[in-house]
Amino acid sequence: MVEGRSPASVGIQAISFSAAPRRGALSIIEMVVLASCIVVAVVVSNRYAVDIMIRTFLWAGLALAWNIAGGYAGLISFGHAAFFGIGAYTSTILLLNYGVPPWFGMFAGTLIAGCAGALLTMVCARLRGPFFILSTLAAGEVVRIAALNWRTLTGGPEGLEIPPVPSVVDMVFKSQWPYATIVIAYMLAMFALSVWIEQTRYGYYLFATRDDEDGASAIGINPRHTRTAAMAVSAATTAIGGTLFAQYFLYLDPTHVISPDISFQFALICAVGGLGTASGPVFGALIIVPLSELLRGLLSQSTSGLHLVIYGIIVIIVILYFPSGISGAISRAASRLSPRAGLPPVSNLKNSDAES
Amino acid sequence: MLNLEAVGRQFGSLWAVRDASLSVEPSEIVGIIGPNGAGKSTLFNLIAGAIVPTTGVIRFLDQTIDYGKPYQVARRGLARTFQIPKPFKQLTVRENVMLSALRRHHTPRQANTVAMATMEFIRIIELAEASVASLTIGQLKKLELARALAAEPVLLLLDEVMAGLTPPEIKEMMTVIGSLPKRGITVVWVEHVMMAIMNVAERIVVMHQGQIIAQGTPADVSKNPAVIGAYLGEKYAYAAR
Repeated sequence: MVEGRSPASVGIQAISFSAAPRRGALSIIEMVVLASCIVVAVVVSNRYAVDIMIRTFLWAGLALAWNIAGGYAGLISFGHAAFFGIGAYTSTILLLNYGVPPWFGMFAGTLIAGCAGALLTMVCARLRGPFFILSTLAAGEVVRIAALNWRTLTGGPEGLEIPPVPSVVDMVFKSQWPYATIVIAYMLAMFALSVWIEQTRYGYYLFATRDDEDGASAIGINPRHTRTAAMAVSAATTAIGGTLFAQYFLYLDPTHVISPDISFQFALICAVGGLGTASGPVFGALIIVPLSELLRGLLSQSTSGLHLVIYGIIVIIVILYFPSGISGAISRAASRLSPRAGLPPVSNLKNSDAES
Repeated sequence: MLNLEAVGRQFGSLWAVRDASLSVEPSEIVGIIGPNGAGKSTLFNLIAGAIVPTTGVIRFLDQTIDYGKPYQVARRGLARTFQIPKPFKQLTVRENVMLSALRRHHTPRQANTVAMATMEFIRIIELAEASVASLTIGQLKKLELARALAAEPVLLLLDEVMAGLTPPEIKEMMTVIGSLPKRGITVVWVEHVMMAIMNVAERIVVMHQGQIIAQGTPADVSKNPAVIGAYLGEKYAYAAR
């Protein structure tokens, strides 16, 4: 313990941790990854590959939206498919019934989903941890069942179809490229929003509320307002992704769009990539989406369900061995490569402190 | 600055604090002592607005506080430390301190300047970029104090900041607390380390079974037979003589 208190080792402790991801600052790795996404998008011309790419970027944007609540504010939600569905259905219903272009319709979806997110957080204000998660799951199911049964509005289980007539105004395109451009723009906008949140006081208020509510209250933060705002922004931005999804696939039905699977996917991408960081959801989507699509393409014909088994095993390995996600693993690797790598590992210092 | 009038709080059938009246003047250091379970932490939670009193009135800066809204009380200039440190676990020490400066200084950059100065003052500047998970209990206690001070409060509630510190750290902390009135900060301080509180506080309030049983200068209180019986014990009275 004596060595733990000596000035030299205190210095070491500080240095070892200085490699922790610095919030708000764009790392070189992140910039390279984002730039290469765009380069790949321009170079690749195989229809199947572009399809996977569009899905990947759409999911990256959606995971970034989920991460605002789940990562920054600690509001783990398994009900985000509801907001996704609200976005998809609102713009589609406005387009089909009233001829409102999805470019504007998506903001109506954003507004409704944002209000729904705020309402959910207010209703569940006293719930924490697993109880909050379960109530979000239930809220998602309520929206799905409502969509299944409100036939006049949503078309019920038969779903809604957007006529595949190319039109810029209706956001329907023959080529994949306009879609690719839109989803990349969505992802970049969500990434920029995440980086902005990390740099401002509002972002820090989210971190404080997530890490210790009493501590946050004691320094003047209203935890209830902070949580509600985070969920509203997360829900609203998820709804934009919902509209883009509807416009790309041109077909919606409650079972596929408002399913818990979609909500789990948001959470899984963030968990694999790294919760509560701007780069995590992007890395997560870059791994999870192509992986699941490729496995399905390669293996679905040989043995049914095998691709899900392999997918599950890979996800378990990543979560077991990279608990802070890919983004955490990268920042650790980067710190190991830094000139101070010769210093003793942090774990030794921690042990010597624990023994005191 | 702070006025409590016949404040009480009941938990079930137990009165954790009963009929407590206390007045704190600006730039005073008031120490609160008493055995475990005397109601000291409940009294703190009442003043900070974290719990709602069953009876009585609490005024801070001549205004009744918003009961049950600790963030409102904090915004009016009250800061506190917690007996069990409550750091923001996923942030660094610097970010923890900076966060509480953010209410008065709106950008992280400005708040950071306050945080650096505060960490310098509390002497945890070398831990600035350390993760909170790596801190010893003594360092966590200092972080609690730094976080409370970075909010630039007018009234500071300290809840057992000395527990877990080594004797040299206690000396250091005594100097820090003793210098706070000069910075315009009024201190209300709960402590079990008698050497520290009896030397630094100007006035001591003694609690026992939820009630305030004595008040006065450290010298008076340590000779009070009721206090010796309830808390200090004969040995302390002898040593103080």
